[in-house]
Amino acid sequence: MEDFLELLVSATASGCVYGLLALAYLVIIRPTSIINFAVGEWAASGAFVGVAVLSTLVWPALEWPWWSALLIVAAFGALVGYGTELLCVRPLVARGAPELSAILVLLGVLVIFREGNTLLFGASPLPSPAPFGFRRMLIGPFPGVSQQFLIIGATFGVFLSAWLFFERTVWGRAFEAVALNRKAAALMGIDLRMVGALAFAAGGAIAAVAGLLVSPLTSAHFLMGLPLATQGFTALVIGGIGRVEGALLGGLILAFVEQFGARWLPVPSGMTLAFPFVLLIGFLLFRPTGLLRAPETRV
Amino acid sequence: MSRSRSTRLSLAAFAIALTMPAFAQDTIKIGVITDHVGGSKFYAEPVTRGIEYGARKINESGGVLGRKLELIIEDDQNKPDVSAAKARKLVDDGVVIFLSTTGSPSTQQAQTVSLETKTPQLAPANGADQMTTALDNPYFFQTGPLASVQLATLMAYTRKKGFKEVAIVRDNTALSQGFADSFRGGLEKAGIKVALEEVIPQGSTSAVANLQKVRGAKVDAIFQAGISGPEMLQFFRAYAQLGMKEPIYGSYNLSIPAYLTMAKDLMEGVIFADAFDPDRPDVKTFLTDFAKENSGGPAGSLEAYGWDGIHLVAEALRRAGAPDREKLRAALQGIDKFDTIVGAKGTFWSFAGGKRAGFHPQGAVIRVVENNQHGRVLQAGQ
Repeated sequence: MEDFLELLVSATASGCVYGLLALAYLVIIRPTSIINFAVGEWAASGAFVGVAVLSTLVWPALEWPWWSALLIVAAFGALVGYGTELLCVRPLVARGAPELSAILVLLGVLVIFREGNTLLFGASPLPSPAPFGFRRMLIGPFPGVSQQFLIIGATFGVFLSAWLFFERTVWGRAFEAVALNRKAAALMGIDLRMVGALAFAAGGAIAAVAGLLVSPLTSAHFLMGLPLATQGFTALVIGGIGRVEGALLGGLILAFVEQFGARWLPVPSGMTLAFPFVLLIGFLLFRPTGLLRAPETRV
Repeated sequence: MSRSRSTRLSLAAFAIALTMPAFAQDTIKIGVITDHVGGSKFYAEPVTRGIEYGARKINESGGVLGRKLELIIEDDQNKPDVSAAKARKLVDDGVVIFLSTTGSPSTQQAQTVSLETKTPQLAPANGADQMTTALDNPYFFQTGPLASVQLATLMAYTRKKGFKEVAIVRDNTALSQGFADSFRGGLEKAGIKVALEEVIPQGSTSAVANLQKVRGAKVDAIFQAGISGPEMLQFFRAYAQLGMKEPIYGSYNLSIPAYLTMAKDLMEGVIFADAFDPDRPDVKTFLTDFAKENSGGPAGSLEAYGWDGIHLVAEALRRAGAPDREKLRAALQGIDKFDTIVGAKGTFWSFAGGKRAGFHPQGAVIRVVENNQHGRVLQAGQ
């Protein structure tokens, strides 16, 4: 039973990180239909910026409190997302280029960020401070370490905010309207450029925060972006792109399959690497819309 | 200004210009392939620091054959194709030998150039056994601690512990798998059963499931064959989180200081193979001098490999009598006892008998991590 509860906390924390990456994809895809694989590298950049702000490893003058790092990283991610939309995506949309062009350009952005991170922060993994350390603790019957509980709490906070934004605000409804029909939304007076810019800024901020949250567990390193991008995309496919809560559901399912499978399935542990891809292929073949469908009738 | 004075000044300037190439020819060019941005940066750069420091000290004491050593340093980003291209560039620049300090695949690829151009190549820190066996390249020499020697030393230490069943934990890199296979072979040969082998895939966010399985198997010890830093960090985090007490044994990969920073407070008591004894008086002197004369942190075993490597080159040049590539190769091959900073006390590098892997069979040591530092030597040799 102890094993089960320990793993429950561990898998939930990992699932929350995947869910955040899926949410970063989702907030961009919904209004723009553009899949942005650079979110993984944005997460890595967020982790590096966090290390730079929190420790003396990068810039000796800084050693700021974690909560200030959270704000700085979120603002950095938003700026990166906004800048990317402004410089790389908007010109393509203005010229009427197909969505595939933007996706390919964003793959270029991915490479630029990965190589940029390497040049700026080096190739060695950097330890990322955890605000509450790594004390083993119990919350109710659940044993874990403080960083895992922080990830879970912060993720639920982000998802609650996103859900409230989409469900309770005019801007959220504008996002939904653009997602359903761009032309009709434009005719209704919704500023498509503003929605696109906000979507990329929000995606950047969420990805960067995900990187900051996971980096105490994994360290900040230049190869962390691609696995996060893959895990986040798989979570998105599982949960579906239609609803915010689908991203979290997909992340949790993916992490549970990975970790509970590694623990109890009678397969060599190296094979667990294939679990996300099996899920990805399975969902794309048999349920391409994901588990949760978009609430198309609401708007 | 009079015409004659102007002419004299012009002649003087011309004479100075004529002497400049002569000064440049007074150096002996030695190439260094390092890595400033790739995956081997964290060990290639310290080895290169040791080479630079060694070259500086050699030059301060008059150089070799009456000439200064001139290092030409290139960055291969730990990419094999780039490494070969950089090796060719160094050869074109006129180096008499080049030292490779990056990953084994890159160093291996650069061998194609040393073989083709008949230019000596030295890998002062690489320990993969196949570097001198996969390719019959008489121009390639390595002095890093051979994996087989490290493993044999670790096994000799382990045998005393009376372990019956152990676990191996690794990541999914090829090098890590190689270490795990070596561990398995050595352990089974020693009559120790490998109860399970756990793989932490690159990109994981938790190793709790892997370590739970190890905990459940109730093994006597864990052999850590990981190479990838982030996955090793997760191993140590999960080990601490699950309150595990099984002793951890690691390869010489754990002697890289970067892991102590990354997994701070998590590696206490870990036992690992190394080729460096900080308690030797000559090693203490080296460490003290290095710290005094260099910025960028104290030295460790990696800097010592570089120091020994460039001093080996200097010795071979002296024996060769001229900075000639063929003579230098022959001189290197003829070295049968070269005292080093690295290695257990009383051991040395030797290429006697046509060997090109110079590390001494008794040169490895077993050390323990204490107070977040690479601590004392528990055993020297096998």
